[in-house]
Amino acid sequence: MDRAKIEEAADRLWTAARSGIPCAPVRDLIGADDVEAAYAVQEINTRRLLGDEERVLSGRKIGLTAKSVQAQLGVDQPDFGMLFDDMEVLDGEEIAWDRCHQPKVEAEVAFVMAAPLSGGHIQMVDLLASIGFVLPAIEIVGSRIAGWDIRLADTIADNASSGLYVLGQTPRRTGDFDPRLCGMVLTKNGEPVSTGAGAACMGSPLNATLWLARTMAKAGQPLGPGDVVLSGALGPMVDAAPGDVFEARINGLGSVRAAFGKI
Amino acid sequence: MADLEQLAELLDEAARTAQAVAQISDTAALTPVEAYKVQALSLARRYARGERRIGVKMGLTSRAKMAQVGVDDVTWGRLTDAMRVEDGGKIGRAAYVHPRVEPEIAFLMKAPLAGAVSAMEALAAVEAVAPALEIIDSRYRDFKFDLGDVIADNSSSSGFVIGPPSAPGTDIANLGIVLTVDGRVAETGSSAAILGHPLRALVAAARMVAQAGEELRPGDIVLAGAATAAVPVAPGQRIELQVQTLGTVALSVGD
Repeated sequence: MDRAKIEEAADRLWTAARSGIPCAPVRDLIGADDVEAAYAVQEINTRRLLGDEERVLSGRKIGLTAKSVQAQLGVDQPDFGMLFDDMEVLDGEEIAWDRCHQPKVEAEVAFVMAAPLSGGHIQMVDLLASIGFVLPAIEIVGSRIAGWDIRLADTIADNASSGLYVLGQTPRRTGDFDPRLCGMVLTKNGEPVSTGAGAACMGSPLNATLWLARTMAKAGQPLGPGDVVLSGALGPMVDAAPGDVFEARINGLGSVRAAFGKI
Repeated sequence: MADLEQLAELLDEAARTAQAVAQISDTAALTPVEAYKVQALSLARRYARGERRIGVKMGLTSRAKMAQVGVDDVTWGRLTDAMRVEDGGKIGRAAYVHPRVEPEIAFLMKAPLAGAVSAMEALAAVEAVAPALEIIDSRYRDFKFDLGDVIADNSSSSGFVIGPPSAPGTDIANLGIVLTVDGRVAETGSSAAILGHPLRALVAAARMVAQAGEELRPGDIVLAGAATAAVPVAPGQRIELQVQTLGTVALSVGD
């Protein structure tokens, strides 16, 4: 890995995030498919936020969980990004448009951890035992890269295209909903614009979350109590425009809303 | 105006012999009114051969499909007893031109229903709801058609399988849908894709059959419309639909 190029890529994304002016892709610096280099870029900006900016990690997001999206980017694995405290928006709270970076909206299952998940042999039962509760969630993804012109390394470097997120306010237990067969409908201004089911997310949002738990444990940053896991979209993501109001309903989990401010 | 009886014969023969035909719109596009006349005439030929109408199917029930065809209303077609396939049964690939399968929600009627009704009144006429697979098969070349073409072609309907019944009061607004081919997930979706709620398709069915001077009768089946994109089928496949709460329905494909 060329350290100078990794730092240059991090700087480019950092400047775009600060200025709100989208930048060129970073694959010219780190290659389109170099996963290791891309996470190294992501980590530089994570450290900046946790250090100088005094932000706090609130959880993780899993991306590329849909077969169709994996096929588009030519991968067979998901990716992850960091969630920070200031990315949370309250249910229905107006979202200032200038907080967004080319926003798109996805409906997801959020798991909130109650116990740490570390070590090298995390099994599904360990995951089930360490989940505190489950919430419906809207993820407002964003891209610092102009026109969403992304390849695998671009999105990973850009914190897995994270943006903002909204959590529902009806905690449920894992046994209270069907992770694989739960229906999902996302409406935009009252019209259904995206529908899906739990199985769209790697067969089950729990499968995606187990992948994340293992990956984070291996990286020495295990999931811990209070961490929010946005486990991946249950249906196609949808473009957002100023003034749009979205509602996600997940059968068995309840509903949650995201309202975008006008310009 | 085209000879509607002749077009009805053309499409009936295409369906009967599983031979694709050219789009009617290549020559002269049909208005929806003409197209429904062709559909009725074409079905009359099937009734004359001994088939019975046992229900209706709704088409273009998702915003995406309406936009694709450039319309803002649903379409309908007629189901006959010859189109019924047993749950877990086998269809022969050769009986169709280019068959596809769609996941649906089915209603079984217990009381007559026709004309303008509310969702509440429509539900009061329902005996049961069930998961269902519809086999669609456009009789046109390359599965291409305009609105008039598809209506005349019985809204592409060619077969259906109904799964186990649930009580009419079952909440069907947002049921998860998983369609598998040979055990692998092919499509996922929600019943909410059907006009936002499948009952709205039943309301539309009551309105549209009344326009044709017919009604939904006790014992009729109403297929509410597709919850995901259609999946092409091939011999040797086993296709299974799982619907949250409602259960499973399946078919296999032979030669």
